[in-house]
Amino acid sequence: MAREHLLKIGVSGIRGVVGEFLTPGLACAFAQAFGTYVNSGRVVVGRDTRSSGEMLQHAVQCGLLAAGCEVVDVGVLPTPTIQVFVASTRARGGIAITASHNPSEYNALKLFNARGLFFNHYERSELLDLYHQREFREATNEEIRGIVREYETPARLHLERVLKHVNVERIRARRFRVALDGVNGAGSVLSCRFLRDMLGCDLKAISVDPTKPFPRVAEPRPDTVGELAELVRREKCDIGFAQDPDGDRLAVADETGRVLDNDDVLALAVDAALGRVPGDVVVNLTTSSVIDDIAAAHGRRVHRTPVGEANVVEGIESAKAAIGGEGPNGGIIFPAVHLCRDSYTGMAFLLDRMAETGLTASELASRLPRYYRKAGKLAYEHGRLGMLMQALEDAFPSAELDRTDGLKLMLPEGWIHLRASNTEPLLRIAAEARTEKGVEELYRSALERLGG
Amino acid sequence: MNTRGRKQLRISHVGLRGVVGAGMTAAHVLDFASAFGTFLEKGPVVVGRDPRASGTMIHEGVTAALMACGHDVISLGIVSTPVIQHAICRLDAAGGVSIGASHNAAEWNALKFFGPKGIYLSTAEAGELLDIYHLRKFDYVEWNRIGKLRTEENAIDPYLDDLAAVYDFDALRRFRVVVDCCNGTSSLILRRLNERFGFNILLINEQIEGVSFAHEPLTDARNVALQLAPLMKPLCADAGFLFDVDSDRVAMATDEGCPVSEEMVLPMLADYLLPRSTGKLVITNLSSTALLEEVAAWHGAKVIRVPVGRQAAIDALSSYRPEQVAIAGEGTGAVMMPQFRFVYDGIASMLAILSMMRERGQKLSEIVASYPKYCMLKGEVPLVTQRVPALMAELRARNAGARINMLDGIRVDWPDRWLHVRVSQTEPIVRIICEQRGEPPHALFSGVMEHVRSFV
Repeated sequence: MAREHLLKIGVSGIRGVVGEFLTPGLACAFAQAFGTYVNSGRVVVGRDTRSSGEMLQHAVQCGLLAAGCEVVDVGVLPTPTIQVFVASTRARGGIAITASHNPSEYNALKLFNARGLFFNHYERSELLDLYHQREFREATNEEIRGIVREYETPARLHLERVLKHVNVERIRARRFRVALDGVNGAGSVLSCRFLRDMLGCDLKAISVDPTKPFPRVAEPRPDTVGELAELVRREKCDIGFAQDPDGDRLAVADETGRVLDNDDVLALAVDAALGRVPGDVVVNLTTSSVIDDIAAAHGRRVHRTPVGEANVVEGIESAKAAIGGEGPNGGIIFPAVHLCRDSYTGMAFLLDRMAETGLTASELASRLPRYYRKAGKLAYEHGRLGMLMQALEDAFPSAELDRTDGLKLMLPEGWIHLRASNTEPLLRIAAEARTEKGVEELYRSALERLGG
Repeated sequence: MNTRGRKQLRISHVGLRGVVGAGMTAAHVLDFASAFGTFLEKGPVVVGRDPRASGTMIHEGVTAALMACGHDVISLGIVSTPVIQHAICRLDAAGGVSIGASHNAAEWNALKFFGPKGIYLSTAEAGELLDIYHLRKFDYVEWNRIGKLRTEENAIDPYLDDLAAVYDFDALRRFRVVVDCCNGTSSLILRRLNERFGFNILLINEQIEGVSFAHEPLTDARNVALQLAPLMKPLCADAGFLFDVDSDRVAMATDEGCPVSEEMVLPMLADYLLPRSTGKLVITNLSSTALLEEVAAWHGAKVIRVPVGRQAAIDALSSYRPEQVAIAGEGTGAVMMPQFRFVYDGIASMLAILSMMRERGQKLSEIVASYPKYCMLKGEVPLVTQRVPALMAELRARNAGARINMLDGIRVDWPDRWLHVRVSQTEPIVRIICEQRGEPPHALFSGVMEHVRSFV
């Protein structure tokens, strides 16, 4: 068995179980390294609704001030909102205190550069070296700046920018009845304002109290948002949305209460975006081939990247793509709003498509090419990944191989992808095919080779 | 000897103190506050700070560490140390932290720790805190038991209400008073005294300032002479007071515009309080004026002399019953009174001096002139740590005929003069103090200085 990693300090920043593992001292030191790295100046700090967030925010602010930064405290806000604000406030960078879709006991620091983008690979490893060398800038009394509070502007900036890309009047005219599950997260209050006040929806919301704990598994997936599906059916809603605690991921239920595959949600958003802006599509290796079909229908190309938001963002930037995302985990990245995963863009696109076409959510979904997917995980053992990759390769000699992130085998009937998780001590395995039987067979034969 | 290190950071029983950036860092703050959060019993903790710019950073770190240890934090913002101690008591908190370097220059900062009721930690408790700090094994709670932060907007009014119960504000507000706030927390309190109770206090250097103070925030006659004393006559003021940045120390100027030696605050207040106190003990350190013994004798009281530093005074206080003690303090203008919970409190001291003027019907200059004259000379010599024992032994042998006290360096007493040679706790120097009733003890002082220098 792999050791349980209750604290992880690495290129993706610092993440861990708060208390014994992720301590205020660590958060402070990491923030001071960050402040040193961005060379003081203005840094935006916000957080999601986790009970450890307030404490960690003070620790982070301590470290930033000690490095001579001016802190802009934006309080509890979705991660995309923080990113948009970083980019528009002449800040040197930003820190969001959130463990995104991880369970309540976890927390983490998400780090952004002056453009409000996730640190790229080089920035991350430079920062990590600085952290380990402990050569922090230590501001003197004269150099220490203060904390400015900005609780209103960021939300306005973000939502206005999203609404520029949809036909608001058309959506408002439909007075959609919308169900929302905010998981009591950072988006709770903002999403109500967005859907009810700005998009004129008849909103039926649950779990929108940011002072309460998460009432369900934080990651919005078909198997975790049952309450939303029930709400949709009970209230006869046109559509239902579920967010994760920091408002970057989105799950969608159609009017029958069926929760759509996240890949299909991305496909609908891609369809909406490609109709509006030029450019290709960038998705990670585990994202469904449905994206390729949609892109092809618009005459665009699809580029694949390793799993991880930062990778997809880098890919979108270098391809000057129109849209991108990570299918399986509910991430839609629309660079015209901002180069970040954003549930608000997703919600707006879906409502806009429904208003534009007059179709219901289930009708929109059913028009997508049908794929069947299966995903699972295996315990991770050091050194085992290479061996397993070899076994898979041997089992499917005819497959076309992609080794950019673990191993992806492309076969005529579908594909198999095996990789190590970035955030947990696990191996992830996914398979997709055009038929249910096909995917079962692919998945089973892969598992057999993996000894799972 | 590494003088550079010693000058910029000091971690001791008194807490954490240093030059921010060069000595004291965010990491020190996090660790020390985590140690304190671990040390304290369950319950909320009061946090306040003085106006130094680095206080913002330190406040964030202290808040995070205490919350992580499961304590709710009650933040008072920028307030004086006595107000923090008062709030700990009033809110029945588990303890408190004062962020501020008091009379030190602006680039310094420090953490001071208080237990329940706002009392200073004893040496034994402070030792335990230090041990936890050095072990770095902190009791961080689980994610769902982390403390919350709330701010208490007005901690000053309840503090003033309690002062009003002790002092006759109606009578005292008639005095025309000038105060040099040295850009510190006293201005916030004194403004409220004017607004709420109609006091007639004129403030100078009243702007709260984080980076540069109008002058050194030391409560001594030299700083009183700078700006405050020259204003007394032109403004027809009855009394003038100078506070340090966190308002626990005070110095005075008379109605005639003369700076009063900081050594006078304690004897004057002892003289005022002893007749109305059941306690007949005056607790002070070995370096403060011998006028105290004379004043105590007038009232049949006794002076207890302890080593220099707040910690020794705290420990001495706790070895007597509160009702035995009339007053405690230092020659620096830091005085504690039983009427006001035995905390160093410059504002309470000012109110007591004004009460004394009113009850005696005398001007401040008249009161000061009514005491026999003592003259004190102070000097310092760089320290060679290894030779301190030999120096002390030599001084003892040379003064074999006099009364000797070796509690803190060496103090030698003759009938109307004394000398004290000790190692500073805050700087790498030996301090030399001589005092004589009447004229300055020039010969004694230069003899000792020469002798100490021969050990460098």
